[in-house]
Amino acid sequence: MSDGDLTISIIGETLTLLPERAMFWSCQATLFIADPHFGKAATFRAHGIPVPSGTTDEGIARLDGLVQRTMASRLIFLGDLLHAKAGRSHEMFAAVGRWRRSNPKVEMLLVRGNHDRRAGDPPDELGISCTDAPHMLSPFVLDHHPRAHADGYVLAGHVHPGVRVVGERLPCFVFGAEVAILPAFGEFTGLAMIDTVETDSVYAIAEDCVIQLRNPESPESSVNSF
Amino acid sequence: MTAIRNPAERWFESRGWSAFSFQREVWDAYAAGESGLIHAATGTGKTYAAWWAPLLEYIAERSTESVATEATARTARAARKASLPLRVLWITPLRALAGDTAGALLQPVSDLGLPWSVETRTGDTSPAERSRQSRKLPTALVTTPESLSLLLSRADASDQFNDLRLVVADEWHELMGTKRGVQAQLCLARLRAICPNLRTWGLSATIGNLEDARRALLGRSAKRSRIVQGVEPKKIVIDSLIPPVIERFPWAGHLGTEMVPQVVEAIGEGETSIVFTNTRSQTEIWYQAILAHRPDWAGTIALHHGSLDRKQREWVEEGLRTAKLRCVVATSSLDLGVDFSPVDRVLQIGSPKGIARLTQRAGRSGHRPGAPSRVTCVPTHTLELIEVAAARDGMASGSIESRIPVTRPLDVLAQHIVTIAVGEGFVPSELLDEVRDTDGYADLPDDEWEWTLQFISNGGDALKGYPEYSKVEVTESGRWKVQDRAIAHRHRMSIGTIVSDAHVVVQYLRGPRLGSVEESFISRLTQGDRFVFAGTPLEFVRVRDMVAWVRRAPNTKGAIPRWMGSRLPLSGELAAALRNRLGEAERGVYRDAEMQALRPILEVQRKWSHIPGPSEFLIERVKTREGHHLFFFPFEGRLVHEGLAALFAYRISRIKPITFSMSSNDYGFELLSPDEAPLDEAIAAGLLDPSNLVDDISASLNATEMARRQFREIARVAGLVFPGFPRSGKSARQLQASSGLFFDVFQRYDSSNMLLGQAHREVLERQLERTRLGLTLQRISEAALVVTNPKRTPPLAFPMLADRTRERLSSEKLADRIRRMQDALERAAG
Repeated sequence: MSDGDLTISIIGETLTLLPERAMFWSCQATLFIADPHFGKAATFRAHGIPVPSGTTDEGIARLDGLVQRTMASRLIFLGDLLHAKAGRSHEMFAAVGRWRRSNPKVEMLLVRGNHDRRAGDPPDELGISCTDAPHMLSPFVLDHHPRAHADGYVLAGHVHPGVRVVGERLPCFVFGAEVAILPAFGEFTGLAMIDTVETDSVYAIAEDCVIQLRNPESPESSVNSF
Repeated sequence: MTAIRNPAERWFESRGWSAFSFQREVWDAYAAGESGLIHAATGTGKTYAAWWAPLLEYIAERSTESVATEATARTARAARKASLPLRVLWITPLRALAGDTAGALLQPVSDLGLPWSVETRTGDTSPAERSRQSRKLPTALVTTPESLSLLLSRADASDQFNDLRLVVADEWHELMGTKRGVQAQLCLARLRAICPNLRTWGLSATIGNLEDARRALLGRSAKRSRIVQGVEPKKIVIDSLIPPVIERFPWAGHLGTEMVPQVVEAIGEGETSIVFTNTRSQTEIWYQAILAHRPDWAGTIALHHGSLDRKQREWVEEGLRTAKLRCVVATSSLDLGVDFSPVDRVLQIGSPKGIARLTQRAGRSGHRPGAPSRVTCVPTHTLELIEVAAARDGMASGSIESRIPVTRPLDVLAQHIVTIAVGEGFVPSELLDEVRDTDGYADLPDDEWEWTLQFISNGGDALKGYPEYSKVEVTESGRWKVQDRAIAHRHRMSIGTIVSDAHVVVQYLRGPRLGSVEESFISRLTQGDRFVFAGTPLEFVRVRDMVAWVRRAPNTKGAIPRWMGSRLPLSGELAAALRNRLGEAERGVYRDAEMQALRPILEVQRKWSHIPGPSEFLIERVKTREGHHLFFFPFEGRLVHEGLAALFAYRISRIKPITFSMSSNDYGFELLSPDEAPLDEAIAAGLLDPSNLVDDISASLNATEMARRQFREIARVAGLVFPGFPRSGKSARQLQASSGLFFDVFQRYDSSNMLLGQAHREVLERQLERTRLGLTLQRISEAALVVTNPKRTPPLAFPMLADRTRERLSSEKLADRIRRMQDALERAAG
């Protein structure tokens, strides 16, 4: 673990929040990632909007770094692995495939999100198993949408949560009474400023540091992409 | 003068008018094939100066032709069918003005029974009318720059404009300093290329840089054109409502609506009044306040601003014209346009901001012969009285603001090129020649042109080798065209350069639309919340498909929406006049009612600190519970102060790690820090040094943040981000990303993207007014430096202290700042 990480305890489990926009469950060597939106830039290009490449490669590189430094044996995507059908480019899958082949032992699971339903599952050769939400991983329930569940504490994504602190918009983790929301992993995804309630614990990512916010500034709503 | 009166003069005579010599000058110049620019105050006959020129041309043509049959059509439809093809394009900046303008143009046409049709085409034109116009355009078309661009995106544009003789750019001073003006320049160059004999005439209010206005209008062809001056403006009287009690402290002097009784009294003195405010929210607030003071005026007072539904605005304008309304509270939405002759009283709430603007507003009154135009200023803050006195000086000395044209915006260029590619397509070398014919792109370097072409075709360098990307394609014949129908459709939907937040229509559950407010305002409401809009208390019910459904609420308590929009800074001319007035006060001279009223406040300023004269630069150091404040007073307008604040904060932060929060107003700016800033050291190290200005500003963190915000407009204009269109559905949703996200991604993966450079340039030139900033720094570096250490915050500084919208600049690590902020909050909570 590194200096910027923050270890917290929730329903008796120890979780480490990582500034690379990921969460690590060390006793299970499991890494959680929400909303990578791979192929989003390619989707834009396919529709005549010039977005440079690099965001997907950056995401893969960051993922690779995370798997190396946590020595995770399992990687779970909490939905929206792929952005859209139009973004299923050959280059993107080739890059993901190269990375997958260099980490052959890591077990990978996608809990499908709203984008995945339209974009389709990743190709079989990537070796990522896919399942519909919610998915039990006791004591947690894995979902894409942050909704409470009777069977356990929910880990979710979808929202791309952000907070405004000292004038900056920062991605964050939100741990509520029954549901936790992870920040969006993808670089080209944007933030949605969230409303928090008093029982929420909010952890902002300030550059290379995860910091618990004790006094989140009054939220302000904002429209952004999901 | 010619003895034979022409048809125009006869028509003028029939209405009891006589033609002015400047109008005759325009008619003759036009007949000789010339283009030009006419400048005069509103309501002095500019419209007919331009309009009669092509009418006279037609009448002359007809009399020389052997066949002079007049079409005597029995129905309107037949008359339209028989009317001549398009001859005159009339570009207006406000679509709200289009109808009135068309009405004025139609008068002589119908009086003389000419076979001309006159119609409008704007965003408000109905689909039925549009499709009729796409079969055949009228003889004269009144339109906006956006609708003109749309006409140019048609595949048969050249045929449509075949017989075009004249294009008029109305209210050109409003357009010339904006990206819309550049868009208009590109359209004009296109029209000149299609019809080589086209004449262009601009109509403008008098501004400080008429030569620039002419060049922006005519581009290369400006050499063969003339500037025609209209009739001299009326005499203008400026006075103020002086608050009955002037508190010695301006924070107590924040007047809000305390001036309402005096305003109501002033309205009562006139027959018909316009009360101008500086923002739409202020309009709502003052309308409510006046109504609360005089409930018996309900039904005879109204409000008018750009977010109200068109029907309501038209009703209000009609009420002003027919003197049915006693008073209208308005924003700049009533600055322009046709005359409201009954108006005999104009009030200005809050700072006048500029001399030209106050002149324009004053000119809305006093149409009776011999009566001067009069404007009465109402301070919302006692210090604003200095600005009124200064505006009077500026008007007396004839210093009128300039409008600085925008140069070489690549986002507008990219949009225009795609517009042409959607329509007839283009050959790059020909189009480049046409683009360089404009003033805005006369110096367009080859590499910027090449980059823009790449940006719209293969996406530029960073996208090379992406076969999935294509927008504009090169056809076999060598023409560049948009082939994909979805791309063409999306482009047509997003033509234009006006960028605003997503808007939500406000509508009664079972009733009419009231207008629109920003989505961000509505998103904060929950069912049952009250708010005030269009002068009416409303209860929010729900929002669905970009419509906020409301019902009437019983009382007037509730939030007032705020609209984003640029807050105008004090103009350079007005700022200079203001510094002179302070200089007089410093010498103990208080010449008129406004300055005498302010005397107690300025004397406190003198006692606690200092009144800065025009050749002095005042810095105040104050310590409060909030921290250490530095107040700087260049008196140069808010935009310049924002730039200087970032610059000074950056320069001081290089001496030691420190976090500043900054606030600026029209008089000065404040740097607030938790620890004392090393001011003396910074001054010794060249805090006020005018050299390295641009480098230092660009290096400060805020320049990047500002560029990121500026990118919002650029991303929208260049076609990266789309406004929400109706029924866009899921497939459009997957193409949504904020402009900030684009900015970050470009910055990281395509840093040579020229739109990024444009964002930085726009921040420097337009947001921070680089030229003015440089001149200001030069001025204050040569001024006598006065540093005071008042025990309490003196009057001039206080408004900045109260400002809660702050920018931040820091040379500390982000995580450290957050920890420090949290520790401070916990200490405060005890």
